Amino acid sequence: MKVALINGSPKKKYSASSVLLRDLSSCLPGSVELVNCHFRLPQISQEDWEQLSGVEVLVFAFPLYVDGLPSHFLSCLEQLDQYYNQERPEQDILVYALVNCGFYEGEQTKLALEILKNWCGKANLTWGQGIGIGSGGLITALENIPQGKGLKKNIDKALQNLAKLITGRQSASDVYVTHNLPRFVYKKMVELYWRQLARNNGLTPKDLSRKL
Amino acid sequence: MKLLIHDLSEEALLKILPDAGNEFGKIVYPQQPIRQCTGCFGCWIKTPGACVIKDDYGELGQLFARCEEVLLISRCVYGGFSPFVKNVLDRSIGYMHPDFVIKNGEMHHKRRYSNSFKLQVWFYGECTASERETAQKLVQANALNLDCEIKEIKFLTGLQVRRDCNESGLN
Repeated sequence: MKVALINGSPKKKYSASSVLLRDLSSCLPGSVELVNCHFRLPQISQEDWEQLSGVEVLVFAFPLYVDGLPSHFLSCLEQLDQYYNQERPEQDILVYALVNCGFYEGEQTKLALEILKNWCGKANLTWGQGIGIGSGGLITALENIPQGKGLKKNIDKALQNLAKLITGRQSASDVYVTHNLPRFVYKKMVELYWRQLARNNGLTPKDLSRKL
Repeated sequence: MKLLIHDLSEEALLKILPDAGNEFGKIVYPQQPIRQCTGCFGCWIKTPGACVIKDDYGELGQLFARCEEVLLISRCVYGGFSPFVKNVLDRSIGYMHPDFVIKNGEMHHKRRYSNSFKLQVWFYGECTASERETAQKLVQANALNLDCEIKEIKFLTGLQVRRDCNESGLN
C-alpha cells in the first residue's frame, strides 16, 4: 500500500507538521510504502506530482491558519481536486489529516477538518480520520522527547491509533487532543516565549502591544 | 473606514457594487500578486502589527484597525474562502496581539486595537449544503477570533464566476 505523507506547512524546515508526520511514520509498519511530499507553495511541484502517482492513502499535516487552511495549501488542494476529477482512480483513496493549532484546545481545528471533508466530497475521496491538535506551539519544542512519554502522551496515542487505521484502511471519528499540561501553564509558556523572541529581535515586551 | 476585500474581476464587482469606489475607503483585490504567509510570526515579534513580507499586502493589520465595517466577497471553496481572500486574512493576523485571552471557555488572541468592526461576508459560486453550513460556522469563528460583530453572511446566486489569474496567489 502506497501512502503519501503530505506536509502542508509553508516552512522549509522545523515545522510542527514535519514532526507530526515523522512521529506518525515511526508508528507505521515497514510493509507500508511511504512517500513524502511538501506543499510549501501555492503550486504542487513536479516532483510531488510524480510522488503522488498511484497513491492509495493521503495523510495531510498542516497548521491552522485563521480557523482554516493556509491559503497556499488550499490552492494545492484545488489542483488535486481537479486531478482526481480527471483521473477518477479505480480504488478508493482514503484521506487522513493532522491539524495543529497554537490555541490550547484541539477542537479549534474542527472547521479546518470540515473544509477538508468538503474537499474529499468534491474530489471523490473517502474521509478516514482527522486529528485536531491543540497546544501546537509545543510540538517542535518537544520533538526529542521519546514517543508516548510525558507531555506528548495524548498526542502520540492518537498517532498510534491513526497508524492502525491507515494500515487497515479504516475510517473513524475525528479526535481532538492537547499536550498533557494545564491551559494556564501553556498560556504562560507561550507568552513568555513571545517575549523572549521579541528580545532576540531587539524589542521590549511592551513593543509587542505596538499600535500602528 | 469601510474596507472591501474581494476576489472578483472588475466587471463582476461593478455588477454587484456599482458604487464600490465611493462606498469603500479601501478596496483590496488581486490587482498585484500576493505572497503567502510563511508562519514566521514576524508581525508579532519583529515588526509588531505589520507583516514583514515586502509586497502590496503588508499593511492589512493596520487597515483592519481603521475600520468600522469590513466586507469580504469570496468564491466559496469547500466551505471556506478562496485562496486569495484567505491569503489576505492569513496576512492580517498582526491586527491581533500574540497574547491570549479566554473567551467562551476557549483560548483566543487578545486585541491589539480598540476598534471593533462589523463583518459582512458574501460568498458566491457553486456551494453544496454542507459547504454552506461550514462557511457560516467559519465566519462565526472568524468573528470570535477577530473580536468583531457579524452584520451579514450572504450567498450570492447568479453571479458570473470568472477566476482571476492572480487569485491563487503567485509568488
